Amino acid sequence: MATVRWSGIRLAGMWAAVPAAVGTVEDLAGRFGETESRKIAESTGVAERRLAGPTLCASDLCCEAGRNLLRDLAWAPSSVDALIFVSQTADYALPATACCLQQRLGLASSCAAFDVSLGCSGYMYGLWLAGSLLNSGAAKRVMLLVGDTITRLVSPFDRSAAPLFGDAGTATALECDAGNTRSWTFALGTDGAGREHLIAPAGRLRMPSSDETRRRTEREGGNIRSDEDLFMDGAEVFAFTQRIVPKLVNGVLSAAGKTPSDIDHVVFHQANEFMLRFLARKIGVPADKVALGLKRFGNTTSPSIPLAMVTELEAALRSAPVTVLLAGFGVGWSWGAAVVEAGPLASVGLTVVEG
Amino acid sequence: MEIIDQVLDIVAEIVETDRAGLTGATVLAGIAWDSLAAVSFLAAADEKFGKTLAPRKLTTCTTIGDLAALVEAAE
Repeated sequence: MATVRWSGIRLAGMWAAVPAAVGTVEDLAGRFGETESRKIAESTGVAERRLAGPTLCASDLCCEAGRNLLRDLAWAPSSVDALIFVSQTADYALPATACCLQQRLGLASSCAAFDVSLGCSGYMYGLWLAGSLLNSGAAKRVMLLVGDTITRLVSPFDRSAAPLFGDAGTATALECDAGNTRSWTFALGTDGAGREHLIAPAGRLRMPSSDETRRRTEREGGNIRSDEDLFMDGAEVFAFTQRIVPKLVNGVLSAAGKTPSDIDHVVFHQANEFMLRFLARKIGVPADKVALGLKRFGNTTSPSIPLAMVTELEAALRSAPVTVLLAGFGVGWSWGAAVVEAGPLASVGLTVVEG
Repeated sequence: MEIIDQVLDIVAEIVETDRAGLTGATVLAGIAWDSLAAVSFLAAADEKFGKTLAPRKLTTCTTIGDLAALVEAAE
């Protein structure tokens, strides 16, 4: 497991943006039946999700979050040295969406900008990359944009996925802070053998789009989807997290020289409430330290950690220094965790985007 | 308590049905056993028996008795 520890980095602020349209349990009852929909909602902890319309992109949500963040922090756009866009729902096959976002946010042409294609672990990799750039001196300020409109890859008739997922975009501003002795510790890992269990198999180069791949047919458990829709084997995802996450969390705590009692807040990838409660018990973290943002927003994949920080921990992040444990895990399989000593943050906010 | 009795308790709770109506021979397909139930069973096997079940093996179970045998055989 790749483990690293830094200081001299400051988390300046973070914003999230969600689509205006709300999907409810009542909407699901029309498709899957009332009893089934209630049971799913009780287990997942998802009462509402925000849904992007047919042309709203993750970049649009991230752009809005980024604009608000730059304005609120009073950061000159020209002061941002690097832009990282983490998403599995990029605008185009090419060019990189980060290039579009550099121009849309009015960042300087001297700004480095690139995409990273990761999901549930994406925020952890984004923070790690941003921290690496700052720690090495390659950048003084980094804008980390993490977002997905994953529901645009989900069949509304797949009950193993449709009730769970929602859309969001986030922006996190990080900068060098030479006098800051508070530390950031990371642990990361990968196991590509798990790729088949959480995948949208068709529509790109490995299995090109065709009439056949676009056709939605009945699959296991009566779920209806196409080969271009997201497929998730929930039992395999659960078994993966059961195997990896306790080790990951204990590993990063030990590398940081901390115990669970040193941690003020734990923010897991918002997979589903059942799984997060299970993990908290297994790891030995008190339930009241675990941020749960699923109720209103569901599982938004890559932005779920920063979204939960903004919606559930805004007051804590704004008011005083905090030590947070973050852990993202899933599609890939890919995972990452960090113990971050941060705050108080100058700017934390949530905005809503039409479309 | 025998493993099969504990498994019957777990299954009754997961599918929200009367425990008295279930036996080792009860067929899972007849009691609303779905992917959500499978995940709940993986968690229960960990918390109640300290065992990690392989999802691939879980999908081959057709009766509650099969579930109990899987738990017994697991590490």
